[in-house]
Amino acid sequence: MVILQLIINAFSLGSFYALVALGFALIFGVTHAFNLAHGELILLGGYLAYTLAGQMQVPFLGTLPVTALAMVIIAILLQKLLRRVGQPYELNTLVVTFGLALVLQNTMLMLFSADYRIIQSAAPAIELPYTQLLLTRTQVILIGTSLLATTALYILLRKTFLGKALRATIQDREAAKLAGINVRRMSLVGFAIGGALIGLAGPLYARTTYLYPSGGTEASLIAIIITIFAGVGRIRGILLGGWALGIAESTTVYALGTGWRELVSALVLISLLLLKPQGILSRKPKAARLPG
Amino acid sequence: MNIFSNIFKPIVSLVVSLTVSVCSAGAALGNSSPIRVGEIDPLTGKLAKHGQEIHEGILYAIEQANSTGGAAGRKFELLSRDDQSQPEVAINQAEDLIYREQVAGLVGGYVDSLVGPISELAAKHQVPYVASASLQQGLTLGRHNPYFFRVAHLQGVVEPLCSFLIQELKPDRVAVLYASTPGSTEFGQQVRSCLLDAAIEIPIFEKFRPGSPDFSAFLLKIRRSRVDVLISGGFFADHLILVRQMKEQKIPLRAYIGPWGIAYPSFLEAMGEAAHGLFGMCAWNPGIAVAGADKQSRAFVEGFTARFGKTPNTTTMHGYTSAKALIEAIRRVLESGKELTGDNICRALRSLDLLLPMEHLQFDLKGDPKHYQQVVVQVQKGEMVTVYPADRKTGEIAQPSSE
Repeated sequence: MVILQLIINAFSLGSFYALVALGFALIFGVTHAFNLAHGELILLGGYLAYTLAGQMQVPFLGTLPVTALAMVIIAILLQKLLRRVGQPYELNTLVVTFGLALVLQNTMLMLFSADYRIIQSAAPAIELPYTQLLLTRTQVILIGTSLLATTALYILLRKTFLGKALRATIQDREAAKLAGINVRRMSLVGFAIGGALIGLAGPLYARTTYLYPSGGTEASLIAIIITIFAGVGRIRGILLGGWALGIAESTTVYALGTGWRELVSALVLISLLLLKPQGILSRKPKAARLPG
Repeated sequence: MNIFSNIFKPIVSLVVSLTVSVCSAGAALGNSSPIRVGEIDPLTGKLAKHGQEIHEGILYAIEQANSTGGAAGRKFELLSRDDQSQPEVAINQAEDLIYREQVAGLVGGYVDSLVGPISELAAKHQVPYVASASLQQGLTLGRHNPYFFRVAHLQGVVEPLCSFLIQELKPDRVAVLYASTPGSTEFGQQVRSCLLDAAIEIPIFEKFRPGSPDFSAFLLKIRRSRVDVLISGGFFADHLILVRQMKEQKIPLRAYIGPWGIAYPSFLEAMGEAAHGLFGMCAWNPGIAVAGADKQSRAFVEGFTARFGKTPNTTTMHGYTSAKALIEAIRRVLESGKELTGDNICRALRSLDLLLPMEHLQFDLKGDPKHYQQVVVQVQKGEMVTVYPADRKTGEIAQPSSE
């Protein structure tokens, strides 16, 4: 029973990591923009949800569409800003978004002070029938939202024409251009969807951990690690990567102690980078067949 | 010769008088120039909340001193620097204050990883440094630093906590979780030592990195180990996550004790009903002051609230107390007609005997406060009730609800 409870907790933590990373992974995959202000945008969404829930008594789930919409608008504005950035694009976006992160940190410091803010979850855990397993409301929302977001994104990328165009852009921008895909428009779409995912992650971040103006760096770091874990452009890999990291951390804490968490996570990441440098779901390329 | 005397004597006299006048004016100007006090605190970054609280306490003490005429007719000027919660930035800022700004003394600091490097720099340049929030024994033990003083120390936390556990709670099994900071690590080790001496079992003794987003696996171990009491040496933000997860997962504990971070009005506000029954510790809070300083404490709360529009807390008071010590020492040096040097200020600090709301402030030879002692409080229906020691308690221990 303890093992099962540990697995539930690990999946919940992994889902949290995946939600934090999804927006970053999509934007980076489609546009190659290395958004270092990703964590700050998540916090901004968190602060918005905190204000809605605290001052306007909006139910927690009701804050999610509002923050998602708000972050879509902000992400589109960010795309307009980054469109002006010259080559080398990845490096320059990193510098610009680092500056933006500092601006956002100071803005949040002015607006919300340095105090720590959380969104409380008053409801007690649900006890699963005939077991002693507990599932908290936050865990249900985390696992549910991460599964829904990943599935929706997977369907969009795999089953729609827009998704195919996005995937083509992720795989090879130049080839996509030659195939007649409007890469600039795909970039806008990538930012908009990424913004919506950031908007979903913000309130959950405030409900799972806490908000403070310079806390975005940690969220950005989580997103970067999970994206590397998963491999660029692999949406299912994000969820699997999050879960893998969640399981690694939870079992480490349980078996070895809280102080080992970071060391084991780092070892797992380094091992993965050595063994599967293209990401957790990568396959070895098939050898080309010779004709005849 | 006469002609020379007649022409040049008045000119020489004029030049001499002008020089004397200019020098006198300069000296007079020097005497009225402000006394520069340097402050280094984490005003941004991870520790910004507590850094800003300390800053406000220091600022209030400086403004209070200036409103009563400063020291020997000279006003105090506070030069605040942000260490961004990073030790290397703290060193740079301290060097700037010492070399370029030539401050008379340094004040502030939160957590020993930031205070430690500044204390070494202060010793190197013979500048007095009164730390606001420092606990690590290594900073004053063994290697003596005559320029380092602090208004808090670890024994003032560990002793009342251990006595409270042994005399009041009498647990069989205790879990100790401590943060990977120098002060919290020493705290964990000392608490373990005193509990083992009292034959109390410690099935879980673990370190964690402040800022961890998840404690659920740790709480699973707590449940399985059937501990009575969990002592968490984490900070404000860590308690937010740990307590929330503990309540969500219905962890059955007789007591949860957080020496740092629980006894804050903002913590009570953030946690709401979930804070009921938790134990915290503090050296001061509105309504909790040392004997004989109640009136002074109330005046501080009123003045501070009017100035900043918010209620001060125990961290604010640590900042205020450290600044009061430095201000008072500088005042004594100037009023005694001595030169304002680092050594003279340190001598004045060593002879201080001040009754302040948080403590009766006297420093020992190592620079530690002689009378710093925290009290144990319990959150009861959104209020902080002092439950230990007996001579300061304002209420009885309430049984915490486990859910």
